[in-house]
Amino acid sequence: MNQVLLKASGLVKRYGSKSVVNGIDLEVREKEVVAVIGPNGAGKSTTLDMILGLKRQDAGSVTYWRDDYKASVGVQLQSTPFFPGLSALDNLKLFAAFHKRRLSVEEGLRVLELCGLRDAARTEASRLSGGQQKRLAIAVALVHEPKLVFLDEPTAALDPRARREIRGLIRRLAESGASVVFTSHDMEEVGKLADRVVMIRSGKVLAHGTPEELPAQYGVANLEELYLKLTEEAAI
Amino acid sequence: MIRTVFRMMLVASLKDKITLFYALLFPLLLMAGLGYCFDSPEYRQRLLIGVIALGTLFWAVQGVAFQVYGQRNKGVYKLLKLTPFPTVSFVLALTLARTVIGLIINAVILLIGAPTFGIAISFSGVIQLLLMLVGGMLCFTCLGFLVVNFSRHEGQINMLSNLLQIPMVFGSGAFYSLSAAPEWLARLGKCFPFAYFVEGLQAAAKADIRPWGVSMVIMLGFAIVILVLAALTFRWNPDREPGLRMRKSGAAG
Repeated sequence: MNQVLLKASGLVKRYGSKSVVNGIDLEVREKEVVAVIGPNGAGKSTTLDMILGLKRQDAGSVTYWRDDYKASVGVQLQSTPFFPGLSALDNLKLFAAFHKRRLSVEEGLRVLELCGLRDAARTEASRLSGGQQKRLAIAVALVHEPKLVFLDEPTAALDPRARREIRGLIRRLAESGASVVFTSHDMEEVGKLADRVVMIRSGKVLAHGTPEELPAQYGVANLEELYLKLTEEAAI
Repeated sequence: MIRTVFRMMLVASLKDKITLFYALLFPLLLMAGLGYCFDSPEYRQRLLIGVIALGTLFWAVQGVAFQVYGQRNKGVYKLLKLTPFPTVSFVLALTLARTVIGLIINAVILLIGAPTFGIAISFSGVIQLLLMLVGGMLCFTCLGFLVVNFSRHEGQINMLSNLLQIPMVFGSGAFYSLSAAPEWLARLGKCFPFAYFVEGLQAAAKADIRPWGVSMVIMLGFAIVILVLAALTFRWNPDREPGLRMRKSGAAG
């Protein structure tokens, strides 16, 4: 069995008296693609933030496979943060330096090409279109060839062509041996890309399993129906 | 790696055209305007030093505050926190980049102002001036970090900067002698580092080592205190409330 890269146990997050994450467990193994799905406000991003150390959990623990894991983890947040005034290529070089990597122009252009951004390399990052900024955020997450990649809604607000390219990129990442954790609202995408699906609602895990076994387990035709069924049941 | 970060911060700072305007064109215009109105040789030396001091203050405090605000609100510090690169190294690289640009700006002002006003500064005076500028730049950059740590939006950066800069400038003797000013104004000025910075620059212009040294030590003392306060209140996350307390309310995503 592949090595466990990440183990989050019993994660809890409260804001005042309101619990937004209620004891979530998540395990990610080497070379695995895990999709975290759920409606808006389910606690997906808060869970990711706790796993990444951006928010402190009120209870539970997060363990990575090594202490200096940050050098081997790539993150694309829902927002697309870049340094104002710097081009796409310069932002990439800067983030590579943050990961203690020296990136040559050729290497930078190669990563940008992988994300379909080679032509925009010299454009100031803040002047790129929304879709291009999303792709640059993914390029930044991949610039140091991480072993574990977190992608928070990587295809949201993209046109069909860009969505297809990003899906292809995730597939290639998985084939290259990286583990990917991604959130999505697109069940077709989840079904095509994920090895395992974790469904969250109201800060709790409602169901988890492979995209093939989950619908069968709940007696529905596909993931989308399962999503609707479980989120409706939880809402009642 | 810090070299790459330093170089990129240099590029990013040079793209910040509004603060470049403040730091270079505004002091030059001020120097030309006041130099035209007051043409005594003694005043012109005070004016040149005052303009350099004011330019340094604006460049360091407001310049860094707006730049850090922009970067923090874009969320880049969140991503930085997810990398193995230490935040302190990043802050150092940004501060050094801005110090280098600030020194170049001041060199331009000095190279234009000194011959225009017929002011001669000895070699040792130039070295003292340079060291005082570096010290001042570091001190006021720390103050800029402190200002942005306590600002929720851009309007508050302006308000807080002015709240600090106005008493500092009026109580410093940068553009006029405080001998005829009310005593409380001079005392107020001594509560801030800018007065010592101006005194140090004025002493450097005369290559007067003793008052220069005293001013430098006091100003660096201020810099250390401000640096500690800035480090304790540093906010990498724009959602966090200013100060040391964590946010207590919010929504899940």
